[in-house]
Formats: sequence, structure tokens, C-alpha cells
Amino acid sequence: MISLRIDGRLIKAEEGERVLQIAIREGIDIPHLCYHEAFEEPYGSCRLCIVELKEGGSSRITTSCTLMAREGMEIKTDTPEVIKHRKLLLELYLAQAPLSNNIKKLAERYGIKGTRFHKTLNLEDPLGGKCILCGLCIRACREIIKASAIGYIGRGEATRINTPFLEENPDCIGCGSCANICPTEAISFEDRDKRRIMRSWSNTQVNLKICKLCGHPFTPEPLWLKVKEKSTYTPSEEIEEVCPNCRIKIVSKRLVKPYSL
Amino acid sequence: MRVRSLDDLKAIAQRALEKLCGRRIRIAVGLATCGIATGAEEVYSAFLKGIESLKRDILLTKVGCIGYCREEPIVNVVIPGKALLLLSRVRPEDASEILKNLIDGDVPREKIVCRVKEWDHLLEKIHYGDGFTDVSLYEDTPFFKHQRKIVLRNAGIINPEDIEEYIAVGGYRSLYKALTEMTPEMVIEEVKRSGLRGRGGAGFPTGLKWEITAKSESDERYIICNADEGDPGAYMNRNEMESDPHSLIEGMIIGGYAIGAKEGIIYVRAEYPLAISRLQIAIEQSRRYGLLGENIFGTDFSFDIRIVKGAGAFVCGEETAMIASIEGETGRPRPRPPFPAEKGLWGKPTNINNVETWCNIPVIVYKGGEWFSKIGTKNNTGTKVFSLVGEVQRVGLVEVPLGTSLKRIVYDIGNGCPDGLKVKAVQIGGPSGGCIPEGLLDIPVDYESLKEVGSIMGSGGMVVMSERTSMVETAAFFVSFTSEESCGKCAPCREGLKQMLNILNKILMGKGSPSDLELLKELSETIKTTSLCGLGQTAPNPVLTTIKYFKEEYEELIKRYD
Ligand SMILES: Cc1cc2nc3c(=O)[nH]c(=O)nc-3n(C[C@H](O)[C@H](O)[C@H](O)COP(=O)(O)O)c2cc1C
Ligand code: SF4
Ligand code: FES
Repeated sequence: MISLRIDGRLIKAEEGERVLQIAIREGIDIPHLCYHEAFEEPYGSCRLCIVELKEGGSSRITTSCTLMAREGMEIKTDTPEVIKHRKLLLELYLAQAPLSNNIKKLAERYGIKGTRFHKTLNLEDPLGGKCILCGLCIRACREIIKASAIGYIGRGEATRINTPFLEENPDCIGCGSCANICPTEAISFEDRDKRRIMRSWSNTQVNLKICKLCGHPFTPEPLWLKVKEKSTYTPSEEIEEVCPNCRIKIVSKRLVKPYSL
Repeated sequence: MRVRSLDDLKAIAQRALEKLCGRRIRIAVGLATCGIATGAEEVYSAFLKGIESLKRDILLTKVGCIGYCREEPIVNVVIPGKALLLLSRVRPEDASEILKNLIDGDVPREKIVCRVKEWDHLLEKIHYGDGFTDVSLYEDTPFFKHQRKIVLRNAGIINPEDIEEYIAVGGYRSLYKALTEMTPEMVIEEVKRSGLRGRGGAGFPTGLKWEITAKSESDERYIICNADEGDPGAYMNRNEMESDPHSLIEGMIIGGYAIGAKEGIIYVRAEYPLAISRLQIAIEQSRRYGLLGENIFGTDFSFDIRIVKGAGAFVCGEETAMIASIEGETGRPRPRPPFPAEKGLWGKPTNINNVETWCNIPVIVYKGGEWFSKIGTKNNTGTKVFSLVGEVQRVGLVEVPLGTSLKRIVYDIGNGCPDGLKVKAVQIGGPSGGCIPEGLLDIPVDYESLKEVGSIMGSGGMVVMSERTSMVETAAFFVSFTSEESCGKCAPCREGLKQMLNILNKILMGKGSPSDLELLKELSETIKTTSLCGLGQTAPNPVLTTIKYFKEEYEELIKRYD
């Protein structure tokens, strides 16, 4: 164990733990968009989590999600310098993602209502106006779901996220983890008839599994297969291809049985 | 043959010296990319034809570039016992005349740049001889006079495709010394003592980096040579590889021994086909001679080198992006720490150095760190190669001791702007460098002084700009480069540079307002402070320095709108 100070508070932590993680655990507010607890390694793309680090005689500004805790560190999360850069970053985000309410809210917390920068809205990009390219969706798809259905396209200011060659991608299992993890709610999909249509991902279509009892679609078929393959738990045949609603009915029936005997 | 001892090396050297200054006339055509671009291949063919028809035993060979690019194609000739002569702007139709003269023991005077009585290859000296006393000496020629060649000690003199010529001028003797007389720790100590700092841009102490990598706990380690040279207009590394590839290879083998690596990778720009092919030839030759591969010099040290071609993105020159690229991923930087020295290629400790950094190693090992540390200034030892380009009369590659003043380089070596124009500024450090105004050219080129005036050393690009240049346009040009080359991962670099270019273009179109200047400054500070990698952290430099030193040009453009 080591101890460090964040905004004056003495905090104990494991050596090598990341400062942002410690702050979150301790209820200290540091804004962040590209960090998510699901990943072991930080990514460092949004740069909002900057803090001021004092060590030895000098101080510098660095991202807290990548910063490993060391004995005697002194961290300040809201010096005028930090706030100044954070505000400017938020202005850049407002110009990049003028349609995102979450970004607007975040900016308002810092008293920013508008941006001095030229707003860009790429209407050809289904994520345009909302996505801030934090990379979480790509990482979730690749590192957690292991589908790698989406990735970056282009580089520099022309970077965007989609399926390779903007074509429907059969690697997508329609799980929706991307939409779930997105901090700006930029990703959309819809379930229509027996299919899930990934609006943001070149309209990739994924078949939905049909409940053998009620006949309603309940989950993307490839996701269902993947879970079945990975899971060590084997459900009884009775509930295997059954939607959650019908499952509850079956299970509750089973549970009440002894009393009705 | 496999070289096993110092005697073996010396025997080869003896034999090869005959090629460099023996009993035959030697004609060496400068065939690096710069020479080839001006027609050196045709010159070579013309000499070949001429020699065949004369039926004389004349040695025709190729060499790299001696750096005086303005005077290409350059040919150097040696008449046995006489001084080596550097001939400039040789055209194919000059070949027969030159040959005729050579046979008579003479050379057409109007072609001669200078003569070399003796060349110091640092590990070995070559005495060519006297003669042609009416021709000025190399060391009195303005372009060469203030230079000091360490990295380029062999460039333009030896044949880069012949390992034996490299051995003739002392090649692989440093490796022999390191492997047989020194422990790895002693090699690192020597590099530390030399004070050598990385030539890839940041100037990190090389010996210290080696030590950290060597001490990182691991069963495997790697070394990488960064030959991705992406700065527009810069070609130092290209020339170093094309003109003297064995210097780099020897430096890397020594590094592998010191650091405890078995494999080295040269990550080289795909746009450098000639450098790649010469490196391949050199690697092949050193393997054949037992200087690379299993049991080098018959010791139990084994080390090999492979070449990886770059992915064609500027940001791949950044070390963590380079590692990602070698691993087959997209070249996007990763957060540091962990630093490559602790966790690099395939998660193993990895030491990355620039081509030029590696090329200094054989000299340091042979002559000693102490010797090296006396060149340059106290905290900036050794020399640095610059590509002197732009509006300057004597365009070329110049190698000077660190601490040399910019004035000396721009005026004494480069002879200022052409057409009687005045020098306005010098841009140093590649697209992320700063524009230094003429009034500040007294400063010495060293890492700290350049930083103080808002620039960086970078890898050694030096662009001279005349009074005709618009500084706002210059800033916009560099920002459009970095904005396009930004990997797109982090927001300040990707979004910030895009917005910066927007504002600059607005000002250039005469639609800027005074608040835009403030916004540019604010934006610059945030991009510098918060970007993930060195690209974003330095990209605002051209804007900041031009606002600082040439503010009136911005104001002039803005006033037009009011
Ligand atoms: C955007 C960017 C581009 C770079 N390009 C190069 C390059 O082309 N060549 C190089 O040697 N170093 C380049 N570097 C620096 C490397 O990251 C690294 O510091 C260097 O290779 C270390 O070698 P040294 O210690 O010998 O200088 C670049 C850095 C950045 C941020
Ligand atoms: S600074 Fe630029 S190049 Fe470096 S990681 Fe950020 S976006 Fe990529
Ligand atoms: S959370 Fe640290 S950079 Fe995004």
C-alpha cells in the first residue's frame, strides 16, 4: 500500500493503481469519456481526465486514467490551469458533437454554453454530430465481445468509426454493447420483425432468435449462440430456446408447484 | 569467409585498401537518391562505356553522397599517389574528356570542387597524396570548412555495397573491441560517458535509455532502429543508410550486445527503396562474413537484424505507434508509461534509437566516450546532421558540432538566400518545429537553446526562408501537414489542429478578427499540454513562433477585414 493526496485528501491505494480509478472509488469527480471499468488498460483518447501532478519539485498536467499511483504523489483535479484546458477541450467537443446532449450537459457543468469553434456536421456519417471518437465502442466489440466488427476508418481529422469499407459486416453479432457503452449515445439500432438492424453500422442486419413458446423475437441469434457456446451452465431443454418472459413463467410455475401439490 | 579474429579483419582491410587508394585509377560516382535524381546513373554508364572502349584497368565504383547536393552529380577520382578530387555537376558527355585527362594524370580543372589529401575515417586515416596544389583543399572549401564528419565519416568516400571497403576504413573493429574487450556494462558506461543524446528529436540520453532497457527484468529484449524519417524535406537518415549502411548495422550489433537483445529491427520508410536495398545487401554481407547471426566473431554472442517496411504514416515514427505497427496493428500511439524500455515490442523491454544515434556508436566505442564528449558543447556533445534546404544557395546535408551557431550554418555554409534576397527566418525541427527569425540566428544549435526560442531540434530539417515568404502561410502549411498526419486518436490533436487550420485559413482569406489571434494562442496551449503524443504536443510550434516573432503579418491580414 502507498498513500497519495488528491485535492488535499490523504488516500491509500495499491502501488500502480491508476489515479482515475482511485478517484472514482473515493467519489472524487474527474470528468472522463474514454475510460470504462470494463477494460484493464487505459486508452487515453478523450484527454478530459487531466489533472495536475506534483512530484519532486515540479508539477505537470497529465491524464489521470493513465497515471499510475506512486507514494507521495500530490494530485489536484481542478486547478485553474486544468479547468482552462478542460473547458477548451469541451469547446472542441461541442463543435465536433453539436447534437450530443451528454456533451452539452458536461459543458454546462463548466459554465460553457457555446463554442467559439466552427461546428462540423458530417451528415454522411451516421454518427456525425454525436460521436467524439473516444474508441470505447471499438474496444468493447473487439476486446470484450471479440467480434471486431467495427473499427476506425481514415485518420486525422477525417477519422470515423464504422464497419470496414462501410459494408454490412457479418462479424457483428448485434449485441448492442457498442451502443450501451457509448458516452454520447451516438449509436443506434432497431429491431424490426425478426431482424435487428444496426443503423450506425452500415445497416448490418442480424437475425433475431424466436421464442419457441410465444413466437416473439427476443435476442440476436448469433449472440444467443455465442453465449450458449461460452457458458458453462447448460439450461434444461425446457427453457433453452425460450424468451425471458416465458422463462419467468416456467420457472415460477416450477417454484409454486410444491405448494399446489 | 567468416571473420573470427582481428587478424582476419586486418587482412580484409589490407586487401580492400587497394580498391580505395591502390595502384589503379579509381572513379567513384555518387549514387545516392539525390545523385540519381540528377542523372548520376547515366554518368556511371557513360564512364563504364568509356572505360570498356579504352580497355584500361580503371576501377569504376559507386559511392554514397558527400552532402553537397547542389553540386550533384558528384564524382570523385583518385589517381594513384595523388590527392582525391571531388568533381561537380558531371554530365554523361563529360566522361570521355575526364577519362582522357585521367590517363594523362590530370583532371579538367573547371569540374573540380576541391582536393582531399587525407581523409579521416576516425578509426582509420587514408592518405591519398599530393598533387593538384593549385586546387583548394577540402578543409578550405566554404561548404565543408565548418563541418565535422563523424556520422558521415564514410559517406561519399566508400562503396556502400561493399563490406570490405567499410572494413578497410576501420569497420567492425569497434564491434570486435566491444565483444572481446568489454562487458555489456562497460559498453553502456562508455555511451553514457560520451553524453550522446538521441538524434530522433527529443534528445534523450542514449546511454541512460540503454541502461534502463538492459536492467528491465525479462527473458527477451529487442532493439529497433527508427528509420521512418517522415519530416518533409528531411533526408539525413536516408543518406546515412544509402551511403554507409554498415555503420548503422555495426552500431546496432554493439547495442544488441550491450542491452542483451538477440534481435534488432530496422523500421524504414517504404518510400526509401534504395536505402532498403542497400541495407539488405549490407545485412546479407555481414551475415556471410560472420559479423551478424550466430556466434559473431566466434564468440557466444548471437544477434540478427531484420527490416520492416513502414506503413506510410508520419505518426508511425513515434515510438509507441511504431511498435503497434510492427505488431501488425494500426500505427496509433499508446499511452506512456509503460515506456518501451520497460514494456515495448510484444510486451518486452525495447530500445528504440534513431538511425543517426546508432551510427555514432561505433565511433564512441572505438575512440571512447571521453573523446566524443569533447566535441560540441557540455550538454550537447557530438555532431548533428542537418538537411539545409529551402531558399539557400548551397543546399545539402551538413554535419556540424552541436553548439554551432545558426548563422554559421545559414551564411557560412549555406551562403544565404539566392538572388540577393535577405534571410527572413529559419524553420527547424520538421513540421512541428518553430520559425526562428533572422535576428535570433546567433543562437547555438543545441536542444535547450532551440527550445528556448520555441522550436525543437527534431530530426534535423532546416528550411531557410527569404523575405518573400509569408509567415502565416508557412504556419498554415505546417498545420495542414500535422492535421492530416494526426492519427486521430486523441481529441486535442485531431479536433484542435483541424480548428487551428480553419482559423488560419480564415485569416489568410482576410476574414480574421483580432480575437482569432487570442483563440489561436489559447488553442495552441491546450493542444500542446493535453495531446497524447509528441505530434500534438509540438504541432502548434509553427503557429506560436510565427505569432511571437511575426505578429505584424497576422495583424496586417486581420486589419484588411476591419
Ligand atoms: C509524430 C512523431 C514522429 C516521429 N518521427 C520520428 C522519425 O521519423 N524518426 C525518429 O528517429 N524519431 C521520430 N520520432 C521520435 C521517436 O518517438 C523516438 O523518440 C526516437 O526514435 C528515439 O530515438 P533517439 O533516442 O535515438 O532519438 C517521432 C516522434 C513523434 C512524436
Ligand atoms: S497527439 Fe495526435 S497523433 Fe498523437 S495520439 Fe493524439 S491524435 Fe494521435
Ligand atoms: S479518460 Fe483519460 S483520456 Fe479519456
